[in-house]
Amino acid sequence: MRAREIMEPIKDVLRPDNTLKEAVNRMRVLQRGAGMGVKGMMVLDDEGRLVGMLSIKDILKVIIPDYMTMSELGEFAWDGMLEEMCKKVEGRRVSEIMTTDVITVDEDAPLMEVADLIVKHNLQRVPVTGKDGKPVGIIYVRDLYYAIVKALLEES
Amino acid sequence: MVQETAEAAKPFVMDATFWTATIIFFLAYAVIVSEKVHKTIVAIVGASLMLVLKILEQYEAFHVEELGVDWNVIFLLIGMMTIINILRPTGFFEYIAIKSAKIGRGEPLRIMMVLFIVTAVLSAMLDNVTTVLLIVPVTFLICDALEVNPIPFLIMQVMASNIGGTATLIGDPPNIMIASKAKLNFMDFIIHLTPAVIIMMVVMLVLIRVVFGRRLKTREELKERIMQMNEREAIKDPVLLKKSLFVLGIVLTGFVFHGVLHYEPATIALFGAGLLLLLSRTHNPHHYLAEIEWPTIFFFIGLFIIVGGVVKVGLIKWMSLKVLEITQGNLFATSMIIMWFSAVASAIVDNIPYVATMNPLVIDMAKQLWPHETGISLLQHSELMPVWWSLALGACLGGNGSPIGASANVIVVGMSERAGQKISFVRFLMYGAPIMVLTVFISMIYVWLRYYVIGF
Repeated sequence: MRAREIMEPIKDVLRPDNTLKEAVNRMRVLQRGAGMGVKGMMVLDDEGRLVGMLSIKDILKVIIPDYMTMSELGEFAWDGMLEEMCKKVEGRRVSEIMTTDVITVDEDAPLMEVADLIVKHNLQRVPVTGKDGKPVGIIYVRDLYYAIVKALLEES
Repeated sequence: MVQETAEAAKPFVMDATFWTATIIFFLAYAVIVSEKVHKTIVAIVGASLMLVLKILEQYEAFHVEELGVDWNVIFLLIGMMTIINILRPTGFFEYIAIKSAKIGRGEPLRIMMVLFIVTAVLSAMLDNVTTVLLIVPVTFLICDALEVNPIPFLIMQVMASNIGGTATLIGDPPNIMIASKAKLNFMDFIIHLTPAVIIMMVVMLVLIRVVFGRRLKTREELKERIMQMNEREAIKDPVLLKKSLFVLGIVLTGFVFHGVLHYEPATIALFGAGLLLLLSRTHNPHHYLAEIEWPTIFFFIGLFIIVGGVVKVGLIKWMSLKVLEITQGNLFATSMIIMWFSAVASAIVDNIPYVATMNPLVIDMAKQLWPHETGISLLQHSELMPVWWSLALGACLGGNGSPIGASANVIVVGMSERAGQKISFVRFLMYGAPIMVLTVFISMIYVWLRYYVIGF
């Protein structure tokens, strides 16, 4: 099988100039196949080119203040600190927070290539790109796992 | 040694070698200031050119004290950096910073003052960059907890680190370099510079009170956040912390007595580094040694050789004659000019290359003034001492004058930007420049009163 056959279609995307608050809201509303919540979305520019990915990991990173990553200060956080930091960063743009070096896979790629990429780069999701390099869909780890399950069970 | 005296006696000629060395020297400094190429690379390339073009023999660069690398400076830095690399991850600095905030009872103004003192003291005993690198993240945390703007805290900490560093031989690179060249010991700095620094600290604390007293306010429930922090949780490795503090104690005691015991400071630092590495029971010292700031070390090495080149061809001697012409041998005027010039120069350019150049210049000047003296009686001629102190005060305190005046400034501005609190060039100048002028002014009065009026 090839990437195209197991990918899910793009339902919604983020724009680079969306605020964090807007992004979180869209992510909340968006459901992917099997009714599961989305934990990461593609960021496309006006021409439909993929410019980044925003995952909940990226959001966590921006909520945790930089000085806590510079030094071991986790023990000194106070109750309500997370909520305060959320207020501070709610207006930040998606373009400032997103991961920009996105690993993509061609729609014609064999599934083994997708599996290899996912494991090597510790990915949760891989955007699938068409002939023009623009994204046409997305594969989640679970989609790939379903393909593996299918292959294993059909064989036996 | 025969070679050195032969060099000194050699008549001064502006030949091709002279001009080549001069061009390498000024070109290297210009590129360092322009920041087009990393300063360490400039220093290494400049130094190698001095050798390749035979301006300096490799032997002179590596083994002749007057012309080459000052290994005392290099190994003092390496030793202290190793000790600090082992102390750092224990959580010592974080502990001190949280403890300071609690001593300040959660009151922003009081915390600013306590952290100002703590930063100055730590910078006097350890290096400035490490001190701010570890105190600044805690400062951000404290300011967030108290909901106050961290920028004034950060700028005041930079000021404290540069002022505190001025107080001791090991506090700031200019002092380390001056001490080595002039054969001054740790206690000389304590006796001559520390009192001036204490005066500056008192004046600064009064100023902080006046300037920030009304502006820094917080709410009672926010103070409670600070009081509920348990500073003991900051300590990650209590055993290694105890060992580090034990060795640091030995090293500082060693510095106090190194003059009496006739040990060079580098010997003490290297002994401390070796002892702590042994006590840490690490089987892989790679990590501790890799974190030594090698680019800084090589910057020093390169600069020493570049300066050695222009010393050998006589450029520095020529410059020292010019200074004497201007001041007409009046050493009070020389001290004051050197102090203010050093301060302004250090605010604009790195103070390390500046002092590397000034050291031989001062010595050459002394040789003109007292041609019959040699050794310690020349280097520490009673009339020359205020000149050394003026150079140290100017070069260290000048670091506060601009955001690029000292490494600590650059580090804090960078950290602040990453944390989303950009300190603009102008904002830094608004604090830094007046404080530089004020502290250098205090130094000027101090040097004048102490050495030219009281005469002690």
